[in-house]
Amino acid sequence: MNTAPSLSPVAAAMQALAPYQTYLCDACGYLYNEADGDPDGGLPPGTRYADIPDDWACPLCGVTKADFRPYTPPSLEALRAALPRSAPVAARGGAAGVVIVGAGRAGWQMAEALRALDAKRPITLVSQCAGDLYDKPLLSVSLARGLAPDTLAKESGPAAAARLNLRLLAHTQAVRICPDTRTLRTTRGVLRYDHLVLAHGAQATLPPALPAALCWRINHLDAYQRLRAALGNSPKDVAIVGAGLIGSELANDLALGGHRITLLDVQAAPLARWPAEQAGAPLLDAWKDLAIRFVGGVQVARLEPVAGRYRLTTACGQRFAADQVIAAAGLQTPTRLARSAGLAWNQGIAVDAATLGTSDDRIHALGDCIAVNGQPSRFIEPIARQARAIAAKLCDAPPAPYAPRAAVVRVKTTSHPLTLH
Amino acid sequence: MNPNDLPRELTHETTADALLAAVRTVAQGPLAAVVEAIDREGHYPREVLQQLGAAGAFSAHLDAPAGRADYGLAIRAMAEVSRVCGATGFMVWCQLVCGLYMQASDNPALGGAALQALASGEALGGTAMSNPMKSYAQIESLLLKATPVEGGHLVSGTLPWVSNLGPGHACGALAAVVDAQGEPLGRELMFLLRCDAPGVELRDCPSFSAMEGTGTYALRLKDVFIGANERMAEPAKPFIARIRAAFVLLQCGMAVGVAQGAIDSMWAVEAQLGHVNQFLEDRPDALQAELDALTARVMALADTPFNDSVDFFIDVLDARAHGAELSLRAAQSALLHQGARGYLMSSDVQRRVRESHFVAIVTPAIKHLRKEIARLSAEVMPS
Repeated sequence: MNTAPSLSPVAAAMQALAPYQTYLCDACGYLYNEADGDPDGGLPPGTRYADIPDDWACPLCGVTKADFRPYTPPSLEALRAALPRSAPVAARGGAAGVVIVGAGRAGWQMAEALRALDAKRPITLVSQCAGDLYDKPLLSVSLARGLAPDTLAKESGPAAAARLNLRLLAHTQAVRICPDTRTLRTTRGVLRYDHLVLAHGAQATLPPALPAALCWRINHLDAYQRLRAALGNSPKDVAIVGAGLIGSELANDLALGGHRITLLDVQAAPLARWPAEQAGAPLLDAWKDLAIRFVGGVQVARLEPVAGRYRLTTACGQRFAADQVIAAAGLQTPTRLARSAGLAWNQGIAVDAATLGTSDDRIHALGDCIAVNGQPSRFIEPIARQARAIAAKLCDAPPAPYAPRAAVVRVKTTSHPLTLH
Repeated sequence: MNPNDLPRELTHETTADALLAAVRTVAQGPLAAVVEAIDREGHYPREVLQQLGAAGAFSAHLDAPAGRADYGLAIRAMAEVSRVCGATGFMVWCQLVCGLYMQASDNPALGGAALQALASGEALGGTAMSNPMKSYAQIESLLLKATPVEGGHLVSGTLPWVSNLGPGHACGALAAVVDAQGEPLGRELMFLLRCDAPGVELRDCPSFSAMEGTGTYALRLKDVFIGANERMAEPAKPFIARIRAAFVLLQCGMAVGVAQGAIDSMWAVEAQLGHVNQFLEDRPDALQAELDALTARVMALADTPFNDSVDFFIDVLDARAHGAELSLRAAQSALLHQGARGYLMSSDVQRRVRESHFVAIVTPAIKHLRKEIARLSAEVMPS
């Protein structure tokens, strides 16, 4: 049944030439396109809206043609332009709060400093390890003090998290910062942040000649505990590559624990990074009754497993056998997170000395991963002051600007304690 | 030789934009016309796939002369397809990685005319590498076993759910090499498995949520002979290490396309429903900004698909995970934006919700990606 008024032949021809139109069902959003018609509903392709019978029903919701209106697809630009007029919707889960990456001393000090100023702000701590609290300097003196490796943690991560009322994501890797959406991508999901604090520290450098799976690097409690487990309770031969601070302290402590140490370095003496101090000779003298053999001026060229032990070969052809090998060749700052956020970098995450702010005003950093004026800071003392400076800023408390000071290094070589400037 | 005598896809004289436009024309025309049949009736869109091949969608990533070594272009073409039909976008990925294996194998029998046939869409192929990839990520163990024999290997075992298969198709596969007693010999064999080879049986799978039209079968192998002409790599581990980033990176085209299709359908109702949709999270402008940033990241990674550093692979895995997460959020939000009309079984919006689930669970699934990132990020120490 066609109820449309009949047209003159000229008018009908004009209509047939007109472009096909689209009509929108007001009830369900169905689009009736004249070109396609509705063959299942009895409208062949090319059926004009005017020619649709009044008893035709919308194929989706059943209303009649009276509920349709002409439809012109809006331009995307116009739709986009209209959006900002509406108020933003609160993102899921309320305030994002502060996310801290790293649960070493810097991460926990940061959480403590924030809590001291703000009891309620949400804090999330992301840690690639268990997040247990411990004093890293103890790793260098635990044998001398008779501390069992499993007693070194002074508070478990979950206990500290409960005490500080924060969320701890342990055994979680931070993968990428997306500054535009203020999110941190991790291996346990995506975290929103209002402020992000990077406290992920530095990583032990692995000399190119040493395969990672064959040598220990001691920069965390977990690795230290595993090394001690591997050493067991009987005296072992231990080779330590690198006679800086950590290498010398570990050599000292492991020797006091009864192990036989071969300490190798490219320099002629230990602690050569502080040439003005001339600390090497007195230290070697203090070690003369310990099982520490220092071999200076050598470059390690190869490390390989041989019959359940390891063989180190130097570039000059000397060979050393050991039950365990430790690389202590310094620290380097991982670049991944800073790079992903496009943060300024200068020997570490570049931060403003007073505020510890990075080049992104939502991101601060402290501890071993930062550098002030191109100078990394890898000592314990500044960390608490850095944390207080950041906390004051984030909590709008009276400023507590950080001021770098010349570090005094106390070398925990218990047979001959040293202070280096 | 007169270049005009060559098929157009061989000459690479089309610009990247022209290739994308040709792919888009197929996607929004012939593919859009059968997308419901693919989804609801399990129609396998052979003709559409071959049209996509003719448009250059299967060759852009391959080195010359088969292609133009442009991974970014291949990913963008896959996204154009996935924007219309996620299932077909997935089949494009299957086809692309099959070509990747064949070319990377350096086996002359798998290059030349054989590779050209796959690159042009004349031949169709897939990948049976879900199980091996999970095996290398220490998630499951290898299901196929290869026993060395005179001139090659005999391969047996069953693989669930291998896609883009059919009579005359082939797929890249991997088997643990074992001795006559079935004891592992400590290496793997990667090879091209021809669906028509004696001893190969394709078995129908149970119904899938959104991948019914993808030519997906269980593969049952009984003493299938693999000779020199089918061999891709032995040992296979160095080969896999070489191609793994490219393999995962290509999947980003699916994620980007499905997410874009979802955003499109949010805009489609904005004029009528914007007044209520403004109360929803994940509005189209915010999702588009996030998708554009992700696409830019993926394009930058696509400049060096064979970078073999661990850090690069972590970046690829994370981009792929971000794509899956964004597909889920965009598809979900598109449904909320469209309301009842998006909930109709005939609506592409509800179909896309199911497609986004696939992007999130197909190997490597979000959980696999995160586990692998965690594994690769851990400091290696003596055991």
